[in-house]
Amino acid sequence: MWQKLRAVALRELGIWIRRPIYLVGSVLVLGFCTLFYLSFFHAGVPTDLPIAVVDLDGTSLSRNFIRQLDATQLGSVRRFETFPEARAEMQAGRVTAVCVLPKGFLADVNAQRQPRITFYINGLYFVGGSLAWKDLLQMVNLTSGAVQREVLRQKGLNDRAISGQIRPVDIDVHQIGNATMNYGAYISNIMLPGVLEMIIVILVIYSLGTELKYGTSRHLLEKAGHDIVAAVLGKLLVYTLLFTALGLSLVLIFYRFLHFPFAGSIWSMALGMFLFVLACEAVAVTIIGLVPVLRFALSIGALYSVLGFSLAGFTLPIEAMPAPFTGLAAIYPLRAYYLFYVQEGIYANGFAGWYPQVIHLLVFLLLPLLSLGRLQHAYIYQDYERN
Amino acid sequence: MKGIKYIKGWFSDAWGIFAHELRQIVHDSGVMVIFVIGGLCYPLLYNYVYKNGILEKTPVAVVDRADCAESRRFIREMDATRELRIAARCTDMEEARELLRRRKINGIIYFPDDFGERLARMETAKLSIYADMSSFLYYKNVMMGSHFVMLHEIGQIQVDRYSEAGLSEQEARAFIHAIPYDDNNPYNRAFSYTIFLISAILLLVVQQVMFYGMSLLAGTMREENRSFAPLADRFQGQGVGRVILGRGGAYWLLFMGLGLYIALIVPAIFHFPQRGSFEDIVLLLLFYVTDCVFFSMTWSTLITRRESVFVLLLFISPICAFLTGFSWPESAFPAVWKYFSWLFPSTFGCRAFINLNTAGGDLLTVRPLMRALTLQTVVYFVLASVAIYAENFILKHKNEFEQRRERIEQRLERRLERREKRLTETR
Repeated sequence: MWQKLRAVALRELGIWIRRPIYLVGSVLVLGFCTLFYLSFFHAGVPTDLPIAVVDLDGTSLSRNFIRQLDATQLGSVRRFETFPEARAEMQAGRVTAVCVLPKGFLADVNAQRQPRITFYINGLYFVGGSLAWKDLLQMVNLTSGAVQREVLRQKGLNDRAISGQIRPVDIDVHQIGNATMNYGAYISNIMLPGVLEMIIVILVIYSLGTELKYGTSRHLLEKAGHDIVAAVLGKLLVYTLLFTALGLSLVLIFYRFLHFPFAGSIWSMALGMFLFVLACEAVAVTIIGLVPVLRFALSIGALYSVLGFSLAGFTLPIEAMPAPFTGLAAIYPLRAYYLFYVQEGIYANGFAGWYPQVIHLLVFLLLPLLSLGRLQHAYIYQDYERN
Repeated sequence: MKGIKYIKGWFSDAWGIFAHELRQIVHDSGVMVIFVIGGLCYPLLYNYVYKNGILEKTPVAVVDRADCAESRRFIREMDATRELRIAARCTDMEEARELLRRRKINGIIYFPDDFGERLARMETAKLSIYADMSSFLYYKNVMMGSHFVMLHEIGQIQVDRYSEAGLSEQEARAFIHAIPYDDNNPYNRAFSYTIFLISAILLLVVQQVMFYGMSLLAGTMREENRSFAPLADRFQGQGVGRVILGRGGAYWLLFMGLGLYIALIVPAIFHFPQRGSFEDIVLLLLFYVTDCVFFSMTWSTLITRRESVFVLLLFISPICAFLTGFSWPESAFPAVWKYFSWLFPSTFGCRAFINLNTAGGDLLTVRPLMRALTLQTVVYFVLASVAIYAENFILKHKNEFEQRRERIEQRLERRLERREKRLTETR
């Protein structure tokens, strides 16, 4: 058995050298994506979001408000003369929010006539919109508090009593698993393993399928001693090494070099990554076995893996999706990997936490049993459409 | 007379290429899978996945060490918010943490011992919230739910206090809400995940499906040693325009149909907001689909084998989605990726669709984006023409090239020989 595997593995390495597509499609693609996601979200939290302010008052108070809003880390003020201008900018997506300071703002504040600040948020740009909303809300509350403080001071209260009066209740927030609210870490953590899933599914389908397309499958079987299991395992041996290396580099880059928030043990995460790689390979073998026509299998693999990003449930949680998808999510190794990461990376629960995910990922390894027979048939008789 | 004949010939050639291309598309099962499943079903599927789009009633645990009237009221009000649901009441943090670790809950609200006391002393009372960051939507819910209640509670407590100090309730309210505010989120009232995501990716589907489909066909033709850019010999290399318009027309026709379906019918099926005017959306599609045709034509020339497009370029789909700026705001793009985003029609097309369809803008709002699309179309048209011309030139002159290379090699060899001879002579 070992000899057969060796022969197939060496043959595969030879193919890699002759056809660069295998290494380009894995190493270069993942490298590019890593570079993209890590540099695209480099800032972690976006800063200086363009916020439009329409100052209809033009007094010291309104100017002060604008200055302070501009000085916040999140906001960067762009001033407009009229509301329609500002609204058009928001509609065009060039500012994330519009804030209107009413006419007679200062006079009304002084006379306690409750002038109303109005703001509009563009909720179509999610991160920008919700952050701008938070920023504006905070600024309005601060300004309102400052006005109260002024009056209370005049009444002779000391600062301690004043702050109790203005803010009787306060909340301190603790973010478990991502204390700095690093959006880049949050997205990359799962997006990049998702890209890896895509690469594995596509490349393994491609590798097993080209044998059919170019009619080399009998040569492969010959090398493997006419044993389909040896043929597939031999091929997967070299792929497993490659993909595990890529996966572990991701783990190391995230949690060692870039210090993404991570509570658990990096060894457990490495184990999770290894099982994830195996599960993705199993999915690919299943697809090409069920549909032993390269072009068809690749299209299916592409459609399958693109949906995986959504069904992992790391953005919109799975419980908010319609019922059928909570089940459908189970056919994605990425879903199990995400849950594994939550257990290990966020809560450091160890084996007791992630053993269901290990079982889930191992179940994927049984899937090829469904289709190996079909693949063998196709490899021997080559009786499917080639193109 | 000659002119008319030329024009007639031109159109009949273009028509022939157009029909040929359509036949190619329809007879290719791989392409049809992508077009039908990717183009027709995926927009429906995505809409269905994100049908609800709003995470409601995130389960949280409460640790109420204060056990006073205020904390109990706080808890009741939080339970009543749309965002939160009190799933457990725990006696200490250990218990709550255990629930969090077992993922029974996604957040903890903690009232310390002195919560009620501090309120009674008219100081600032603090409570702590802990949010599960495994999805930012859990955090958003825990954060918003507790903050809404806090703001409301603050108002209530302040009114009580000022009333005790002798102010009438109305006076007290005027004082507390010195500057009231109205916050509006006109395009996405409930911060629904669906509305922001679907607006961005609908038109992206058009571009990606077309690109993958065209690349599959280009790769197939290359493999079969045919050019993807057939110029009949009688054109003598003059027929680039006919080929581009003939082939492009086939895709354009298919994808205008698909585009109308994706941009107008799919949103209607799912009661998705459609605030743009029909004519504007159709106009946007005319520009966008044309751009996508030349974009795909240009880049698919680089595909030499049928399957390589999936192996090498599938990863670009999620990247294009991020480059529309729907999630990470465009103003925070690193410069390199901003320029990179200009390569894709989706960058401008999807943004225009968001602004027209979902934000209810008009053509004036999206003018800069339409200009960008137009410019991009022109550039890609030129590039596609050059690519097709080059492909044909190379195919036609393959023999000449080889002969020339041989000649150059021979010349080099001769020169080397001569030099060696000279070297031996001087020795």
